Parts: sequence; C-alpha cells; structure tokens
Amino acid sequence: MKLIIDETRCKGCNLCTLVCPYSIFQEGTTPNRRGVVVPVLDRPERCTNCRLQKLYGRVLCGVCQMICPDQAIRWVDEKPYEPQKVVIEY
Amino acid sequence: MSGNPGSFQDWFRQDRLPHIYCTGCGNGTVINCTLKAVDSMGWTPEDTVFISGIGCSSRAPGYIVTDSLHTTHGRAIPFATGVKLSRPDLHVVVFTGDGDLAAIGGNHFIHACRRNIDLTVVCMNNYIYGMTGGQGSPCTPLGSVSTTTPYGCSEPPFDLSELAVAAGANHVARWTSYHVRELTRAVQDGLETPGFSLIEAVVQCPTGYGRKNKLREAQAMVDWMRDHAVLIKKWRRMEEEGTPLPPDRFPVGEFVRRSRPAMGVPK
Repeated sequence: MKLIIDETRCKGCNLCTLVCPYSIFQEGTTPNRRGVVVPVLDRPERCTNCRLQKLYGRVLCGVCQMICPDQAIRWVDEKPYEPQKVVIEY
Repeated sequence: MSGNPGSFQDWFRQDRLPHIYCTGCGNGTVINCTLKAVDSMGWTPEDTVFISGIGCSSRAPGYIVTDSLHTTHGRAIPFATGVKLSRPDLHVVVFTGDGDLAAIGGNHFIHACRRNIDLTVVCMNNYIYGMTGGQGSPCTPLGSVSTTTPYGCSEPPFDLSELAVAAGANHVARWTSYHVRELTRAVQDGLETPGFSLIEAVVQCPTGYGRKNKLREAQAMVDWMRDHAVLIKKWRRMEEEGTPLPPDRFPVGEFVRRSRPAMGVPK
C-alpha cells in the first residue's frame, strides 16, 4: 500500500502535519498549479498502513485520513515488486 | 463493507468533491467521522437518510450518496421527525450547526429532546454563523469578537449539551474535531442508542471565528481546542472538590446515556 495526497482536493490546511505520530507529513514550500501549498511526504513507507495494512486487514492508525477535511488522503494498492534481470553490456 | 480500509470514502459523491468549505474548516472532519460511524454500523445508503437545515454544516448531506433533505433554516429536526414517524425503518441522521440548532431552531430542539424521537443529531458548533459572514450566534463565548460583537460578546453562551441533558435526550456527547477517534465512537454510540442523541462537535472556523480572535491558522485553532478541552470526569471531580472552573475551558466526553421511553423506534 502507498500513502498519497490527492492534489486536486487538498486545500493546504496542514492539519495532517499536526496529527501524524511519525511526522510523515511536512509543510510544503512551493505552491502547485492551483496555488495551494500541498504538504510533502517524508519517507511515507514508514506509515504503518503502508507496511502492515494487508497483514491486519484494516486501517491501523488512519488519523490523517480522518482529520483531513478535504478527503484528500488515502492509501492505494501498489503492484507487487517484480525482480528485474539486469543485462550488462560489454 | 466495513472491513476494507477507508470504505467510508464510498459514501461520498466523488463527483461533487472537493467541497465548498474554506481551507481548514472542521466540517469535513466531522463528515468523515459520521460516515465512518454509519459505515461501521453496517447500514446501506438505501436505508439511511441525512437531513440538514441551513448553514455551512448543512451543506454536508449534498456530498453524501444517500437520500437527503436540505430544509429551511432551523427546521431540520421537524422534517426529520416527519421522516422518522412515517418510515420508522429508516435510519435518520441530522447535520446541523449551532446557529441552526440553538438560535432559530432552539424550540424544535428542546421539544425533540423532550419527545425523545429516535434521531441522531450531529451539531457542528463553530461558535458563529459561518456562512453569512461571522455574525455572533447563541454559542459565541463571552468576550469573543465577531461581526456583530465587535467589542467582545457580552452575553453568556448556550451550553448545548447541558441543555439536551436537561431537556431529556437519551445520549449526549461532546467532542472536538481534533478528537477524531473519540468523535467516531460517540457518533456510533448515538446511532446505537434508541431515542434522541445529540453529538456536539466543536469545530474550528479559521475564516469566520479565528480570524477575529487571534487564531487565524487552522492549526492554531485545533491546538486551542485540544488545550482547552477537559474530560468530563475531571470536570465533574473539579465541581465536587469546589475547584474554580476555568471560564475558557469546556468539558468533553459522554454527558449522559439513559433509556427513557423513545418515540419512533421500530417495533
């Protein structure tokens, strides 16, 4: 699972930066195309939901999703990791 | 439905989002919490109705996929009573604000508590009339500045939860939009309780209220709510001990849960 912020919905209130126990959400610096300063994710793989949600079958902490007034935070499924064969050219 | 993560998001009308609320408005948080509670009850959109009056908070049912009624100012509870009495099998949830519930709909509110109709009322108390430009409401705290009280509010405010307890509601709780888990739990308790239940959610309004009261940022207002909320157990203990209750703080928690005879409960 992967944590994402929907930039079309976020209004930049930074409430997620206040509640995350791992400080994954950091205040952004540059405004996006709509002029909203969207928070940036600092190593989002630390989020318990990204790692353990499949194991437990439910949302574990999820406070950022609950407090987000604009419904902009969610987790999406990722494709499973596929090993790639490296071809070395001489 | 309740098992998969974030399934309460399915209750939103995705084509209507993003909603019209200002940046940092707490109403969206309260909608999240209410929908999560409704979702974990296992109800379907076909047997749930959301009803609202007029105001910022009352825009909420427009973003939810269920059937909804957006009614006249202050008259959400009478419409909800009508829905509940004609179709007792439906689950009725009312979204309302403090100006809607306490000012113009005050009498309807008291009598709904007295009759103990099987409704769940989620009141988003943001201390002012947000939609019309920040006028003072019956819940504006003493000394707060609003558009109609430029020198500070000089009238004591309503305590909606205590009012509902005194009027006879079956379940009354108050939380803030910072306490998302507790608020979800309280809404779920209210949905489970037969009879009238009021959940007062104190929400931040950085645009209308905070801007005039030195809490311009949404984060500052959420911090203020977190620091000024006192658990009801501690509040009652302070009352018993005779400790002077700080005037700027407010109790949060479950005020009452009882089983008075209720009206409109399906047999």
